[in-house]
Amino acid sequence: MDPLKTICAEQHVIIKLPSDNNKLVQLKPDTSISLGKFGAFNVNDIIGYPLGTKFEILYDGDEKEEQVPATGKFKYKIPTGKIKVLDDDVEKTEGERLENVVNSENNQHLVNLGNEVQKLSAEEIEALKEKSVSSSEIISKMIESHGSFDKKTVYSQEKYLKRKKQKFDKIFTVDYLSSSALLQFLIDKGDIQRIMDMSQESVAMLLNLANIKENGNYLCMDETGGLLVYFLLERMFGGDDKSKSPGKIIVVHENEHPNLDLLKFSNYSESFINEHVITISLLEFFEPPTIEDINKGFTPLSKDELYQLKSGQKNKYYRRLKWYHTKMDILKFSTEIEFDALIIASTLHLPSLVPILGEKVHGSRPIVCYSQFKETLLELAHVLYEDLRYLAPSVLETRCRPYQTIRGRLHPLMTMKGGGGYLLWCHRVIPASEPLTIQNPDVSKAIEQDIKVGEGQD
Amino acid sequence: MSSCFSEYKDTIQEGDLALIWISRDNTKAITIDSKETFNTRYGSFPHKDMIGRKYGSQIAIRTKNTNKFAFIHVLQPTPELWTLSLPHRTQIVYTPDSSYIMERLNCNPNTSRVIEAGTGSGSFSHAFARSSKRLFTFEFHKIRFEQAMKEFQEHGLLDDNVTITHRDVCENGFTINKERDVTSCQEPGDVQLNANLIFLDLPAPWDAIHHLDKVIAKDEKVGLCCFSPCIEQVDKTLESLERNGWTNVEMVEIQGRQYESRRQMVRTLDDALGRLRDIKRRKIEGMERRKRQLESSMTEGEIKNENEKQPLTEKSEFNPFGKGSRIKEGDPNYKWKQVTKIESEIKSHTSYLTFAFKIVDKSRKEVAKK
Repeated sequence: MDPLKTICAEQHVIIKLPSDNNKLVQLKPDTSISLGKFGAFNVNDIIGYPLGTKFEILYDGDEKEEQVPATGKFKYKIPTGKIKVLDDDVEKTEGERLENVVNSENNQHLVNLGNEVQKLSAEEIEALKEKSVSSSEIISKMIESHGSFDKKTVYSQEKYLKRKKQKFDKIFTVDYLSSSALLQFLIDKGDIQRIMDMSQESVAMLLNLANIKENGNYLCMDETGGLLVYFLLERMFGGDDKSKSPGKIIVVHENEHPNLDLLKFSNYSESFINEHVITISLLEFFEPPTIEDINKGFTPLSKDELYQLKSGQKNKYYRRLKWYHTKMDILKFSTEIEFDALIIASTLHLPSLVPILGEKVHGSRPIVCYSQFKETLLELAHVLYEDLRYLAPSVLETRCRPYQTIRGRLHPLMTMKGGGGYLLWCHRVIPASEPLTIQNPDVSKAIEQDIKVGEGQD
Repeated sequence: MSSCFSEYKDTIQEGDLALIWISRDNTKAITIDSKETFNTRYGSFPHKDMIGRKYGSQIAIRTKNTNKFAFIHVLQPTPELWTLSLPHRTQIVYTPDSSYIMERLNCNPNTSRVIEAGTGSGSFSHAFARSSKRLFTFEFHKIRFEQAMKEFQEHGLLDDNVTITHRDVCENGFTINKERDVTSCQEPGDVQLNANLIFLDLPAPWDAIHHLDKVIAKDEKVGLCCFSPCIEQVDKTLESLERNGWTNVEMVEIQGRQYESRRQMVRTLDDALGRLRDIKRRKIEGMERRKRQLESSMTEGEIKNENEKQPLTEKSEFNPFGKGSRIKEGDPNYKWKQVTKIESEIKSHTSYLTFAFKIVDKSRKEVAKK
């Protein structure tokens, strides 16, 4: 089975709930997953269906409720129900059912009575749920017992129905954990600061402007705990754990150890990540070990010599060998490689950071910096504008405005998330080394003037 | 030949497609030919001076008459740079829109098999070609099709992963037959598109949506985006999507903005007051001087006038903001605050993006027994 198309065991997936909340889970076979008030299901029941499938949890009344210690949030362990694949046509029948209900042209006669208008008490609704009546039956009963449902407009009736469905439906969708899905999950979870207030549209534009491909070497600073690196990996390899493409991400980090924690949710194997994501601290990147130091720290042994070592010594030798390769990698990536893009999402002072990291970028390749704030990029833009090695720095913003997407009632949503950050985009260039005529004493002045001519009033 | 868009190149070589950057709104694509010269109004740049240099190199010359320094930059094209420089055959899809569509539909070189209709100016096609496994693009306008075909050929896209077909998809759908269709498809006979990422930039996408079932992948989630400028088109599209079993429909709009980095002079209240005081002081001085002149001319005649005139040429004027002189933005003699200024003309509306998804076959795959 293809884990990029089909729900597979051991995979991390995103579960979308009727309440529009998302849950990130790993599908451990022979276990069950609880969705709180929306029910629980057995992992084995959903394996093999296409990713993106919508399921309903059904209860036929003979599930036993297991008593669990009262420390948990719920008094009883939520019983696992049976699984049914939902056809998308189901949603349409709901709309049809509404047509059988009387509705009002306007809400002239609708008086706000608060809770009194609903004749069913909370206890009675709970009792219905206990009896494991299906969500559509509960909602039907609520509409029947609603004192002024017929005085609502059809729009408001639909909204009512949607609200109740979000509360009582036992429906969930299992989706592939794409980088965007992970981002959305973290946003919903309230981890905005951790991911630097990054929006999907901003990071999407970053990927395109940085010209990310499967065959490039990219220099990256990622302060989002690995989210940005996951975006890069997905754009480069699309989840292909066995990809033969040579692309590499060199992650430079400001702490002694890198924080790419979020990669644990990705479906790439550890060995794949180790091959394509190289982490180097800022200190080692700018002050790499010398080849002499590296050679001093490791003496290669011949096969025969290795064969004669005791197992303890052998382990020590392999640890040392790994150390050797790590150091050689650092040496290679900090001194030999000209990078195919520089991508930065860091709160370090950009005007002092970017021009130095930029030296490692190959001519004609893009530099893209993400920041939560426009002002930090503005300061950077002024510095790069004065530096002849950087062509046309631009500060960019992109915002996605979602709409209520219902026929005949299309309009932008009344509220949306603010923030989303900004991008700075420029290209590394190589200034002409010497002016062609030396006799002119005003050469430097002329260069200065002509930058203005060349780049215009951009 | 590998595509100049897919390989990273080190140096500029004969036959390369290169992008000449003159200014932000003036970039030109050229094919490097050692016998050719690139002419600008600042001067001429022989291609042979570019060959062998690294991509990104600045090429500088001295103009013949004025001996002024003029330069260009030679860049390797990317889809995004190409979008800035390409010949517009139609309205194009700009990077804020195209990048969002690609990310939302999880476009990647491993799994994405893309249908694009129509090709138009080919701006989005270049981005899709870079970031997908396979691109099938359709154009119904004969001349635009031929131009795009030639362009893709020159850019090496057709040898890579792109198939372009001359077709009115609303009339005739998306199926491709190698023998019948003028394409660069490698596969013989009927081509299995198995598309899982659909982008419809058509005036009437609702006429094309029902043709998709024949060509989309069956056993996985397929994503679709319709790109329409009018809200009425969105409404009709929604109807068609619902009728054809597409779900999770959402329409959004993308607003891209670009800012200029500028400086504004810091002008303090104290300086403004100081300047007014200075004007007032000089005014009073002038009046007193005139009074004295008048008095002295009455008493001593006009001999002393010369001496009294001298203070008039005094240059001690207090002018903290450089009023009356041309100050360059950022002049180090003044204090500046860094500010951003939005473009003078913004793209306030490009199109509405309607997304929808579909799984054709929801049956279960056999679970391998351990």
